[in-house]
Amino acid sequence: MSEWRVRLTPRIIVVSIAGLIVLGVLTLAGSRALTTTPAPATASAKPATRPERPPVSAAEEAYVRAMWPIHGDVQRDLMRASLGQILYKTDDLTRAELQARMERALATYRSAETRIRALQPPESMRKDHEEYLAAVRLFQESAVEANKMFKDGKEDHLLAAYPKSQEGSDKIREVGGKFWPNEFPPN
Amino acid sequence: MSRTLMRVVMMSVFLFVVGGLGPVDVLDAKPNNKRPPQVLPSGFESTDSLLRDVERAEKGPLHSAWIVESSRFMGVPFGAFMPDKAGLNTTVDLPVNVGIIEDPDGNLTLYDSGWKQLAYIFDWNTSCCWKGIRDQMTAIGLDPEKVTRIVLGHAHWDHSGQLSEFPDAVAYIQKEELKQIDFFLNYPVDFNAGHIRAVNTVDPITGAQVGPPQQACARTPVCGYPPQTVQEILGKVLGGKARIIDGRHEINRGLVIHPAFRGHTYGSQLLQVNTRRGQLVFGSDTYSSWTGIRDWLVANIQQTDTVQQFLAYEKCYVLASRLNSFNNCVAAHEPTSYTPDYPLTSNWWTIPGGNCSRAAELILAPGKTTHVPSPPPRTPPATCVSTVPPHTISP
Repeated sequence: MSEWRVRLTPRIIVVSIAGLIVLGVLTLAGSRALTTTPAPATASAKPATRPERPPVSAAEEAYVRAMWPIHGDVQRDLMRASLGQILYKTDDLTRAELQARMERALATYRSAETRIRALQPPESMRKDHEEYLAAVRLFQESAVEANKMFKDGKEDHLLAAYPKSQEGSDKIREVGGKFWPNEFPPN
Repeated sequence: MSRTLMRVVMMSVFLFVVGGLGPVDVLDAKPNNKRPPQVLPSGFESTDSLLRDVERAEKGPLHSAWIVESSRFMGVPFGAFMPDKAGLNTTVDLPVNVGIIEDPDGNLTLYDSGWKQLAYIFDWNTSCCWKGIRDQMTAIGLDPEKVTRIVLGHAHWDHSGQLSEFPDAVAYIQKEELKQIDFFLNYPVDFNAGHIRAVNTVDPITGAQVGPPQQACARTPVCGYPPQTVQEILGKVLGGKARIIDGRHEINRGLVIHPAFRGHTYGSQLLQVNTRRGQLVFGSDTYSSWTGIRDWLVANIQQTDTVQQFLAYEKCYVLASRLNSFNNCVAAHEPTSYTPDYPLTSNWWTIPGGNCSRAAELILAPGKTTHVPSPPPRTPPATCVSTVPPHTISP
């Protein structure tokens, strides 16, 4: 009993009140956190008859395998550049971040051209080889045009750069459909 | 002594307050670009808010709606499409349906835009029946020049492929759909032998999926987005013809986008359409199978959070709860499409000159005339022979 008399000083009472206030604040905060919800923020048909894809020769296989990682690098940085521009337009990416992406993409395209030129395509694939090279050059030209924006600040360069990157992406899709017909399975 | 005790207590209280309030921000999960996808917005919508959308839509205009079959996947193993049916050990043919919605002014909204990549029809030897969507629309009496909007249910190549055919139409796509591609493009493949890849997902010669595991493409979150598709979306953005949206979005009264995040892909979205038969809900691959919605089975779940797919099914049940219920859910790959087994699509016909593709009139607004010929030409799919359309790749 005497113990209680000793502890019930004004200071302890103040501390207790402070503790209760803190507890209340925490309860409210917890309640807010817990109640915070994210804002709403057969039939069958005969398929078309088509010739079988002829088996690839050893030279064709070697060429297509060598192109594969280059194709991956080109696609990855092409999409990063495209998405970078979209996310820049939606204010989800800064101009500096976009610039870094575009410069990296340009370096990848240039590297890809060097790597592709070092390959010896079989005669049967020479035309598509040239087509792919043309696409990579289009990507370079497009990136060079887009990168002007970082010098003069005019976003019109992105629009001016777009047709070439679109044409290039059509080309690599078409050539890719021949080299790697199963690249994109059904989704 | 008591003064010291007081200091200790006050300091403890201070630290407790500071430390205790910290997690609130974490729980809030405020948007930023650095978050991993595991804490991306969930796209939740309460039943009450969905029902408010029904009430609001019902005061709006009534729409007409059709679907056309952009192409058809042939002979797909049933188990790959609907895992709960894997034991049947059969195959199914899967249409790729595109929605067409007409508002009272005659303007058209597409839900998805079908295939573009003709190489797949040629080189993937089980596909069938592709026809350009503009030609399909013309053949069923709809003017493609009237297309003012395209709502992309998701951006996979077989659903967003003909965007460039409609240069003046405004495309609607979820920001989450774009951000997820961006995130996984940078995902490292060196330490896990490539479980998750955005590119180089197959063996370049055999076409076999690289792994581990097998079917890596089907198991990786962003396989299925060719640069060509992303480029076309960029074209829309740069041309001022895109709406990058974040969650629910009312286009017009009676035309409402609802998020279905991870119902098939990260940024999947549904489209609620006010019609005379109640609210139609278009679902793209989140609603791959109508029988799946009816029987509560997941479908086409290769890149899907199955809980989110069920929640998206439930959104249709709620939105269509006043009239027709699950019968108003519009599926993209339902095998029984264009048959009486999927009643909504039973008023179907073979598209004239459409390479065996089919169309169905879902509902007409009052006073509108049917587009279905009388009698409807119905070539049994088993007897219809499709052709390979001209394209640039030779065998």
